[in-house]
Amino acid sequence: MKDLFTEIWESVRRNKLRTCLTGFAVSWGIFMLIVLLGAGNGLMNSFMRGSGEIATNTMQVYPGRTSKPYDGLKEGRRIELDDKDIELTSGKLFSKYVDAVVATVGANAQVSYGSKYVSGYIEGNYPSRKNMERMEVPYGRFINNKDIQLRRKVVVLPLNMAESLLGGEGGKASGAQLGHKLLGVEGDNSKVNPASLIGKYVKIGGLAWQVVGITKSDRTRNDNLFYAPFTTVKTVYAKGKAVDDFSFTFHGLDTKEANEEFEKEYRAAINLRHRAAPDDERALWIWNRFTQNLQMTKGTRILTIALWVIGLFTLLGGIVGVSNIMLITVKERTHEFGIRKAIGASPWNITKLILAESVSITAVFGYIGMFLGMLACQLLDKTVGQSSVSLMDDQIAMLVNPSVGLDVALEATLVLIIAGTIAGFFPARKAAMVRPIEALRAE
Amino acid sequence: MLIELKDVNKTYNNGQPLHVLKGINLSIDKGEFVSIMGASGSGKSTLLNILGILDNYDTGEYYIDGRLIKGLTEKQAADYRNRLIGFIFQSFNLISFKTAVENVELPLFYQGVSRARRHQMAMEYLDRLGLADWAGHYPNEMSGGQKQRVAIARALITGPKILLADEPTGALDSKTSEEVMQLLSKLNREDGVTIIVVTHESGVANCTDKIVHIKDGIIGRIEDNRAHNASAFGTATIMK
Ligand SMILES: Nc1ncnc2c1ncn2[C@@H]1O[C@H](COP(=O)(O)OP(=O)(O)OP(=O)(O)O)[C@@H](O)[C@H]1O
Ligand SMILES: [Mg+2]
Repeated sequence: MKDLFTEIWESVRRNKLRTCLTGFAVSWGIFMLIVLLGAGNGLMNSFMRGSGEIATNTMQVYPGRTSKPYDGLKEGRRIELDDKDIELTSGKLFSKYVDAVVATVGANAQVSYGSKYVSGYIEGNYPSRKNMERMEVPYGRFINNKDIQLRRKVVVLPLNMAESLLGGEGGKASGAQLGHKLLGVEGDNSKVNPASLIGKYVKIGGLAWQVVGITKSDRTRNDNLFYAPFTTVKTVYAKGKAVDDFSFTFHGLDTKEANEEFEKEYRAAINLRHRAAPDDERALWIWNRFTQNLQMTKGTRILTIALWVIGLFTLLGGIVGVSNIMLITVKERTHEFGIRKAIGASPWNITKLILAESVSITAVFGYIGMFLGMLACQLLDKTVGQSSVSLMDDQIAMLVNPSVGLDVALEATLVLIIAGTIAGFFPARKAAMVRPIEALRAE
Repeated sequence: MLIELKDVNKTYNNGQPLHVLKGINLSIDKGEFVSIMGASGSGKSTLLNILGILDNYDTGEYYIDGRLIKGLTEKQAADYRNRLIGFIFQSFNLISFKTAVENVELPLFYQGVSRARRHQMAMEYLDRLGLADWAGHYPNEMSGGQKQRVAIARALITGPKILLADEPTGALDSKTSEEVMQLLSKLNREDGVTIIVVTHESGVANCTDKIVHIKDGIIGRIEDNRAHNASAFGTATIMK
């Protein structure tokens, strides 16, 4: 093994410039592959951020307007959901698939604490909402069943609201208007301790509510949504029987077809209750996380494949370069190979020499490219990854954690070894095939 | 018989077919010191290359130690070249980017001998040929005679049955030529190595015990030269 590397080193040393120039093409190829995949991952992570935090087997249902006349009623009529719809959903008819149903009801509200105030939207919710949306509650707790039963006046605030209620010592979050706070700076308020708000009372709509928990701010939205028990909000904001929307988790619907079938039946049942056409898709909006996710996964896969293809084609240039240089090397060394054969080198001995050299060049320069590529990903993370764009009033981070995992590094290593072998294959074969007597005659 | 050739034919087919060896019959015993002489183009090198399994022949039979050398795979041929045959060339054919000792080691490398062992053996052989001080030098730092002695050390290191030399003195002056020939005859006398030398030079041929004349692709006269008086230029020196 050591002898082999000595031989390779001897050969490479004699052609430093040539080797480096070719190696650069390989480095560039792998660099591009890693950066492309890293940026692609970042992009996908940022998409996922907006959607991936909700349990995937969830459907959210909210009312719309009828889009066709039915049962003697005209189109354009507004639908309102109420308790009966919840009963229907959780009832016998759909019990085969539907698990828990949780409704929400809410209103615009202003929260004040001392002299600070923040405008937001109070949403009455159930405890199970926490899991459905994979909410993280770093301080305190989320709404529990007792809150629901006793109609307690408790609220759970997102971190950014809590910080601005606690005051502006932190600088950027000062003032009541949080709406323009950038995403990347969350947590910069090192001087305010959000936990200190737990147990304190804030004023909402003239009433005192106790803060019981603080959730992580949702980077994808900026509308200061905060949570209270469903029953309390319903009572306080006197919504009667109406609900804003409701969500439920389901099971046993594993394919796109099964989901569509279920949605069709479900829509028909709800629509008929409201005297809307059973197939009126605008009367009732159904947002199915599961099918959405299926599509997202498909899209992600296509993107990844596309990036690999582009990266591999870039790499191909490097491989052709290495192959070329190995051909030149073989031609130059024909006489030497003749000598080696005359004193007992088998074809495989010669093949090994060329293949090993090819793989070594590819691997060494490939790793340099990979290393630089990962460095570039880090750089992306530190720059572009920290900025965000405003999209339809939502703040969206452009790239979230743009990097490639160990698996990709391993795959790239494999690609390099295969690439080196391919690059060296034809030159090596050529070297091994030439007959010793002809090789000796070569100059 | 160590070497037996029976009606060996060889034709080169690049463009115009050229029938170079037209039925060679030759036997050489173990321990013989033979030279092959003949006009330029008579097929001496062709014959030697066949003997050294560097080239193959078309028809006939070639035996080394009773083993038929025909239709070998490249791997087998490589193995025979490595273990049975030592080759010495007119142009030395040392690998330019390897030092003298590395060149001498190389055949052992292809036998899978360990690094330390083959280095030690290579040093021994270089020492025997008086080149111990030159072990670390590259070929382009050495004289023709030194290079040829390195090549001889390389040819000997595997302990081959046959030593083949194609005009080993062709690129050397008369003094060095004589040294090389004396070295070869010493190897033949003391170690019993079978040596076949191709040469134009009668002085070189005169150092050997048997002179085979080849003419128009067939073996002509075979001269017994154990008295070493065949040279037209005297017995003591090699004239150039
Ligand atoms: N590879 C080849 N292809 C075609 N013809 C060849 C080849 N090698 C040798 N010949 C021809 O075969 C004949 C014999 O060549 P060979 O080299 O054996 O002669 P030689 O006796 O060694 O001559 P010299 O004394 O000049 O070295 C020559 O006519 C030569 O031109
Ligand atoms: Mg010749």
